[in-house]
Amino acid sequence: MGRYILFRLLKWIPSVFILLLLIYALVFFGAGDPIKLIFLQAPGDVAYDPDRVEAIRDAAGLNRPFLVQFMDYLGNIANGNFGNSLVSGRSVNSMISAALPVTLKIGLTAIFLLSIVGIILGVIAALNQNKLLDNLIVGFALIVWGIPVFVAGPLIIVFLVLVMDMDVPYGWSGLLSFKVIVPLLVLGLNPMALIIRQARAGVLEVLSEDYVRTARAKGIPNYQVVVKHIMRPVLTPVVSQIGLLVIATLNNSILIEKVFGLPGLGRLTETAIKTSDYPVILAIVLIFSTVVMASNLLVDISYPLLDPRAAAKKTGDE
Amino acid sequence: MTDNTLELQQEEKQFSLAKDAFDRLIANKLAVIGMLLVVFLFFIAIFGPYITPYDFLSQDLQARNQAPSWAHWFGTDDLGRDIMSRVIYGARTAVIVAFSTTFLSLIIGIFMGSLGGYFGGKVDAFIVWLIDITMSVPSLLLVIVINVSMKPRLVNWMDEQFLLTGNSFYRNTILVDFVLVFGSLALIKWPKAARIIRGQIMSVRNKNYVLAAEAIGVPTPKIVWKYVIPNSIGPIIVYISAALGEAMVFESSFSFLGVGVRPPIPSWGNMISDGLRVWQLYPHILAAPAAVLALVTIAFSFLGDGLNDALNPRQWK
Repeated sequence: MGRYILFRLLKWIPSVFILLLLIYALVFFGAGDPIKLIFLQAPGDVAYDPDRVEAIRDAAGLNRPFLVQFMDYLGNIANGNFGNSLVSGRSVNSMISAALPVTLKIGLTAIFLLSIVGIILGVIAALNQNKLLDNLIVGFALIVWGIPVFVAGPLIIVFLVLVMDMDVPYGWSGLLSFKVIVPLLVLGLNPMALIIRQARAGVLEVLSEDYVRTARAKGIPNYQVVVKHIMRPVLTPVVSQIGLLVIATLNNSILIEKVFGLPGLGRLTETAIKTSDYPVILAIVLIFSTVVMASNLLVDISYPLLDPRAAAKKTGDE
Repeated sequence: MTDNTLELQQEEKQFSLAKDAFDRLIANKLAVIGMLLVVFLFFIAIFGPYITPYDFLSQDLQARNQAPSWAHWFGTDDLGRDIMSRVIYGARTAVIVAFSTTFLSLIIGIFMGSLGGYFGGKVDAFIVWLIDITMSVPSLLLVIVINVSMKPRLVNWMDEQFLLTGNSFYRNTILVDFVLVFGSLALIKWPKAARIIRGQIMSVRNKNYVLAAEAIGVPTPKIVWKYVIPNSIGPIIVYISAALGEAMVFESSFSFLGVGVRPPIPSWGNMISDGLRVWQLYPHILAAPAAVLALVTIAFSFLGDGLNDALNPRQWK
């Protein structure tokens, strides 16, 4: 087990490295000169003087070759320093540490809630296979999965404010306030189909197994059969969806934070894009990919714990 | 006479699989509704500009921010442009992006998947690794970075080409928007197609008919084209349907964030983004494109699910 985790970690490091190199190269060769961008963004502030720009570039080390600058950047990251924003001049670290908690709180709560509700709905759907309840749950999941969050969000706002005459859910005031519960629901409901689908298919597969029939034949009450014999093997395929779930939630958070005015990473991304603030964008890409890859790692590690058969297979393979 | 019956039988046999799948699809009411809506969307996208009552750019400053009426079914926006015409033109944007992206990603996917599946060993390991990396990147963010960082350079290049050649083709910067959106989307979408093809090759490559084809010297690309792709047509159709829907959502997401297709070319995404600024006074400006996009995505969702049931009947049961 320990070796397996170590092996996965070793595979993870070059992936992150390549990704960083790719993004850094894109920004370096594609976007062009950050100093020029600063001047463009503050016209009239400083007269555009080529000599002065050259001096600033030298001072900032921007005239060095690509690889030198990249290694320099990696060194800084390793020391936990993401540089300074091109626009505001604030350190990227402080901007990130202000925004990250908002996104993390909403994202993790949404994933946690949707996993639990999704599993329950999936099991209910499977136990009522092809009946009305099943069709309702599956149809509901498909509809919600279909509608993008930046469509559902605004439509819900319009409905709540103009039809129900409520306050505008905009801004952040703690996880449990009404303002935040609305985006939380939108964020959680959207990818629930992933979980419902897996849970439902998993239960349907297990229902016809001999041990379930045996348990029923022995007269074990229905709820106990469901909880003890059916739920456990269903968890494995559900857990395998978590990587997708995290990606969907991160993508959605970029969109939903714009709609509901939440001061999280998504909002930071949007402003950074608009102002071409590359140090901020690089830092966010790094954080997002780390989160996704770490959750994939967690899934791989938790597999053998949830399903001893998978563990046996894995060690057999190696 | 006997020849005829033989031919008939053969024909029946050939089509039975596709017909089976089609029957299953037709039996699914939601899928049929989805399919009709999708066909209607394509129709609108192709013929839309000829049937819109107004030009999508023509401004009528006397009639700004009007609520829906008989003259303007979806109302007008802050410049007095007819929203319905803009929504219809937005369908064209969405469909163009969806088709080009899906086509490109399918080509990349088939190429990479067959490379991996055929050569195996280190090549395969490398391609699997590429697939893993691409799938574990937060896709929206990566596409945004590609778009934002490549755009100035491409626009510059187009300007230089225009100055060099004088060809007015290079003045069209809208093209840059579109090309960047297709390109970057295809770059993150290919792994699914590659996985399908790779898996199919793995399962087919040791079958006798493929070995026989190899033995008589049929070139590899032809084997992939004639034996592997027809075998994976089911999953590929499901992939195409899902990819079309996803690409539309992605396109409008970028435009919503102000990255992809930019005004004045209407895209549902940038219309929703515009609507968000004035929804309290004029909710129809926001609601019209949002409702249409929601309807289209639901249609694709139903159709995709129906196709999935019809072609891989094991999943939902």
